[in-house]
Amino acid sequence: MKTIAVDLDDTLNDFTRTLQTARFSYDPAYNISPETFDRYLEKIRRGESDANELLSTEYSYFCYRIHAECYRLAPALPGAAEFMRWLRENRWRIVILTHRDLRRSNEATRRWLRENEIPFDHLFLALHKLAFCKAWKVQCLVDDHPMNLAPSDDPHEVELFYPITSQHERLPIQQGRGFRNFDELKQWIPNQDS
Amino acid sequence: MDTKSGFLKEFYRGLPKDRAKVETYEHGFEYIERMLAGGATLEYGEMSLAGLLHKYKFSQVPEEQMDELMSSHIAKTCNLCLYFGQVENSLFCFNLDNNHKINNTVVIPEMTLVVELLREILTGAGCEPLVIASGRGYHLWCRLGAPVDNGRLYNFMVRSTARALLGLHKQGYDHNRIKANFYPDPRARNVVSLRLFGSVHVKNKVFSRVLTPEVLLDEEQSWDAFGRYLREKTIGLDAFERAVAALCG
Repeated sequence: MKTIAVDLDDTLNDFTRTLQTARFSYDPAYNISPETFDRYLEKIRRGESDANELLSTEYSYFCYRIHAECYRLAPALPGAAEFMRWLRENRWRIVILTHRDLRRSNEATRRWLRENEIPFDHLFLALHKLAFCKAWKVQCLVDDHPMNLAPSDDPHEVELFYPITSQHERLPIQQGRGFRNFDELKQWIPNQDS
Repeated sequence: MDTKSGFLKEFYRGLPKDRAKVETYEHGFEYIERMLAGGATLEYGEMSLAGLLHKYKFSQVPEEQMDELMSSHIAKTCNLCLYFGQVENSLFCFNLDNNHKINNTVVIPEMTLVVELLREILTGAGCEPLVIASGRGYHLWCRLGAPVDNGRLYNFMVRSTARALLGLHKQGYDHNRIKANFYPDPRARNVVSLRLFGSVHVKNKVFSRVLTPEVLLDEEQSWDAFGRYLREKTIGLDAFERAVAALCG
């Protein structure tokens, strides 16, 4: 059986736009002041990582809370659910492969997939997705992350596809094939029997 | 049943045995299919950045399959991690970690100090913990004679740890360098699990040795200490209530 791994955030959903445009209300349960809330939210929206040497901080926890909200709020991209159902009809084994901390977001992720009628077989977290595909003998990877597209000395056998976004226009892309919509992608996914 | 297996089953008797996190180098769809054929359901998997180490959360694990996982844990072919009961538990655990992004398997001075401060506070209150090296810090386990509501356990752990961190602060150390998590945590039900005694840390390959006030025991001595704690140090509910009154009053 052929296997395809598909990313979630900014591949199947509209994560970044949700993060940039959604209204996040201050809640005292965040345990920070309203001023800190505004400052942290701005920092997350600018994509700034935590420069702190510590692993677990007030900011890292706030980041997780805001991202968790986005996981819930982000709509599926046009054609994404239909594409996944098409994969199922064509007998692909489907792995949802994400950077999300599934320890904390497993249930919310499953709920979102169910609500959007997106079929899948397994849910996996891997920070290095190409390494995962290699270890698990996954034939195709659909993922927006720029890390996959960088030049590599280790030629891999994974067919890589990525949704073209503004970030990709600035990158020296060495591998992978960019798609503008899921109908375009369908044409390139090999037949299950091929 | 061998001694080690008997110890582990008895020590962790109150924790749900129908779900587990498994840390192993085994991977691939054949492995998953074998586990699913045994009856378990895969909630999610994770491939860590440490080589090919994988973590899997399984639910609906049948008793026989849990026994097999326990045997693999003792044979060190996987680490078995269990979740806590969602309402009440007869075990609770303080998880103290080195809170740094890099080099966090190093035992920092703050860790050495805070673990002994917390041990003294708990022992002084009549709740002697079993202290186990976790790789990034220490687990301090307390085993009760009967289950107690998770909210009460959590409150007790927070207040005891606050005292220990205050002691750290008074000696001029930064308490932020220690990350403290508490199990069970009523805010995160069925989300976090803890590795059982007998595990080998995935990064530094160190066995989960028992730390006495004097010394870090070797593997064999640690099993002996584990069995001794089980026989002699289980905390009665009266003793726990006295400790709550002393530390949370």
